[in-house]
Amino acid sequence: MTDRRENLLLLAPGLLLLALAFLLPIFRMLALSVQGEDGLTGAHFARFLGDPFYLGVLWRTVRLSLLITLICAVLGFPFAYIMARAKPRLRTVLLIIVILPLMTSVVVRTFGWMVILSRNGILPEVIRDMGLAGRSFQLMRTETAIVLGMVQVLMPFMVLSILGVLARLDQRLEEAARTMGCSFLGTIRHVVLPLAMPGVAVGAVLCFTLSASSFVTPNLLGGTRVQMLAASIYRSVTQTLDWNFAAAQSVILLVGILLVMTPYIIAQGRRHG
Amino acid sequence: MVKEVPLWLKIAAGIFLVGMVLLLLGPLVVVLGISVSESQFIAFPPQGLSLKWYAQVLGDERYLVSFRQSLVLALIVTGLASLLGGAAAIAIHRRAIPGAGALATLFLSPLILPTIIYAVGMLMFWSATFGAVSFLTLVIGHTVICLPYVLRTTLAVLSESDPYLEEAARTMGAGRLARLWFVVLPQCLPGLAAGMFFAVNISFDEAVLSLFLRQPELTTLPVRVYGQLEFSPDPSVAAVSSIMIGVTVVLLVLADRILGLKRFSEG
Repeated sequence: MTDRRENLLLLAPGLLLLALAFLLPIFRMLALSVQGEDGLTGAHFARFLGDPFYLGVLWRTVRLSLLITLICAVLGFPFAYIMARAKPRLRTVLLIIVILPLMTSVVVRTFGWMVILSRNGILPEVIRDMGLAGRSFQLMRTETAIVLGMVQVLMPFMVLSILGVLARLDQRLEEAARTMGCSFLGTIRHVVLPLAMPGVAVGAVLCFTLSASSFVTPNLLGGTRVQMLAASIYRSVTQTLDWNFAAAQSVILLVGILLVMTPYIIAQGRRHG
Repeated sequence: MVKEVPLWLKIAAGIFLVGMVLLLLGPLVVVLGISVSESQFIAFPPQGLSLKWYAQVLGDERYLVSFRQSLVLALIVTGLASLLGGAAAIAIHRRAIPGAGALATLFLSPLILPTIIYAVGMLMFWSATFGAVSFLTLVIGHTVICLPYVLRTTLAVLSESDPYLEEAARTMGAGRLARLWFVVLPQCLPGLAAGMFFAVNISFDEAVLSLFLRQPELTTLPVRVYGQLEFSPDPSVAAVSSIMIGVTVVLLVLADRILGLKRFSEG
């Protein structure tokens, strides 16, 4: 047996699995999205893009995903910075606090939010008690509920992405800025933040693509009235049984995600040269 | 003279930290709280203290079947993913095959593709080719999802390994299998182990693919919980969810003992 043969043998099972159970299903989906009763058709896409309801779903998906990403970045950066500069004990505790929810099933975390946001849940109650809203105030089945739930679900991705960059940052850069008379906040703004930007960018791409495509949390917290794209795909698959239309919606989601990821993939390729 | 970090900023940082911890852990604490509540209704803070919901869950055949299904699924998937992913990682790491970089990208691509899109494709492909969805479909689908994690962790470990060890073994006359088994595999082990922790955890908790491939007799634990949440959640769902949190904690502790948590934040 040659070396080449050995390597091919090692690769073959995985490659076979990916070809048969990953690439073929994707091709099947792509094919269904343009398949009509007599040959190729763009009707499924036209139906989506011509219907104000589905355009609304698409717009809500983009808008909420952007908002969720922004909140994750704004809260995640200071949190990651505190983690990076904390004493080892505190850092370990914080790391566990970030990783534990990340590794817990999304279904379980969403259940927690359903309780917190329900009619008699803690959050609506506090808001009513503070007189910020009337007695009929509701949080479940609103966009706010989706954003709150998704921020918690995706925060670990943002924090860990930024932490990965900050942990490798030379701390003497900050010390140098401080001895030169720069204030603490000035150092953060002019030294740390610019250097952490690659981490923020990776985290943002992750957060945006994951929230645009996530199903469990938006569907349980938003219900059928406040649908995002993934929930709409699920409905087409399981309720209206319109698989061609479901495939077309999946393609639209896929194209959107690839558009967002392209600059990131190009940058990655450049870095690895 | 270096200016001190102002006091108000330290206090603000403390408050911020507490708020973030509440945000991250709040939902989990609420679930744990409800699971030990005496009340018939889901309400937080819990009223009374009782383990009756756990007793009910442990006596409920539907939950037990789902739990067994999820566990068996996670174990099979972990075995398959580490076997296929580990072998592929060894071959890709050697860079002897043309296009190793492109191959690595292909192997990692299930990580980038949203699960919902893969789930739609898998359901349509399987129905058109083989007909009804079965346990095997879930095994294959989950293995595809978990494969990249094993590959990535194993590649990371191999990239720090000594390339001359295998050469040395070859010069000393070790055969192919002996080299793989005694030289390469031990070097892969930390990465393989980390990948296996990811695989067990992901497969056990995975809801989207399992939901699309749901059948009456094929309902994993997350899907069972999801179904309850959609219709009639009672505190027994909280007990099941708490058990799932418990499984995650056990996995985390194991991972920390064996590998150290640092690897996870970097992986």
